[in-house]
Amino acid sequence: MLEIIIYSAIIGVIGGGCIAAGAARMFHAPEVQAMGAFRTLGELNACNGDPIAHFSFGLGFFFSSAASAVAAGALTQDVMHRIIPNWGAAALLVKNKKPEETLHNPRKMMCAGAIVGGVLMIFLNTMARIIPEKLSLIASEVLTPATGWLINPVMPAIFWLAALDAGVQTGMWGSILGGVSALVSGNAVPGVVLGILIGKSAEENGYKSRIVQILIAIVIVMFLVIAYFRGFFSQFGL
Amino acid sequence: MEKRTFGQKMDEFLMKDSTFILLIMGAAAAIFAGTFMYIRFGTGAFNEISIVAMLRDGMDGGDYAAAAGFAAGFLIARVLEGPLVGLLDIGGSLQTGVGIGLPALFLSMGWQLPFSNFFTALITGAVIGLIMGVVIMVIRKVMPEGVAVGGTSVMMGAGNATGRYLAPLIIIAAAQYNVYTGIGAVLGAALFYKWGKEMTGGAILGAMVLGGIFL
Repeated sequence: MLEIIIYSAIIGVIGGGCIAAGAARMFHAPEVQAMGAFRTLGELNACNGDPIAHFSFGLGFFFSSAASAVAAGALTQDVMHRIIPNWGAAALLVKNKKPEETLHNPRKMMCAGAIVGGVLMIFLNTMARIIPEKLSLIASEVLTPATGWLINPVMPAIFWLAALDAGVQTGMWGSILGGVSALVSGNAVPGVVLGILIGKSAEENGYKSRIVQILIAIVIVMFLVIAYFRGFFSQFGL
Repeated sequence: MEKRTFGQKMDEFLMKDSTFILLIMGAAAAIFAGTFMYIRFGTGAFNEISIVAMLRDGMDGGDYAAAAGFAAGFLIARVLEGPLVGLLDIGGSLQTGVGIGLPALFLSMGWQLPFSNFFTALITGAVIGLIMGVVIMVIRKVMPEGVAVGGTSVMMGAGNATGRYLAPLIIIAAAQYNVYTGIGAVLGAALFYKWGKEMTGGAILGAMVLGGIFL
């Protein structure tokens, strides 16, 4: 038992700190390389620097993660995508309401994320059972469909419309790659995002420029690789 | 922990592009060690039940192909995409790729060393993170300045716009699940909106409170 507590604390502090710092860097991307997810960025913005909103959003996922931890030992991806960034943000925002000085600051988020991560991991790995089953059920029945819809189809639609509004080139590439991405990977967002990048680069530099050609080549290879690994080609009976 | 000047130095350091390598090392180490915890103690994997089940199938039956194949696709795609958009998706790259795919690959090759104890797992994860971080930084450096900055502002705008949809979606989901969670979500969201708070929080709390009392 002691072993589990110590290991959980180490994992939580290191992982929570790094993930939270990476999430704070999302607000400064693309100038600095960030890590997280577009949906995490959207959700953090949805709570708009309100500590109660950040806390309750994290709390809902905390209940469903606890249920999953008890059921199968799987803590869910939400621990790093949602609970740690949102609770870290909530803790910082209680003291200082300005997201620019708290949520967007990698150092402060790292400290908050490390503390949240350490405590959270110990709890999930040892004490998740004490969460009433009813609350876990409500949380997952309400939040899972809502965030599922957000990821698909709401986010693809928003990114798609943004691509169409940004010009003919981005609209064209966004639509084609978005469709391919939906076919191959099940979600259009990565394709639309790459389509916007290619479209904008082509608009600014022309198709003769090496960078645009490299980009297109990388994206084609990438989709072929994904299609292969996800068994896309076998659908044609090949 | 840190005082004024150190704090500022730390701020500067954490905003440097290449610091990403350290951050991804830490995250990968934690996630890989989480999988070690799952293998050893049966709890702690950073992924959904359905994906962890693929690894479980491998551990029980010795066939790791499903887990390794599924996760390797995600890992490669995300590592290529991450530097292009400036945002690495940790779900596909780290939680599924490093947390499930690589352990499945190692175990299918019979390489047990990373899982022999907690610290070898942590170190293996950190080394994987280091390799991924370096690859991502190299792709970023090789990309000349030409990759459109305008493109990223379009995407960030869209990313920010998505957030606004969450509160209505939560109210809809709560209303579809049950009458009490629905009423709770509506009341909570309306009150929070009136108080100038974020509706998302009100909708979740309302659904949980009324649902908790009446269900």
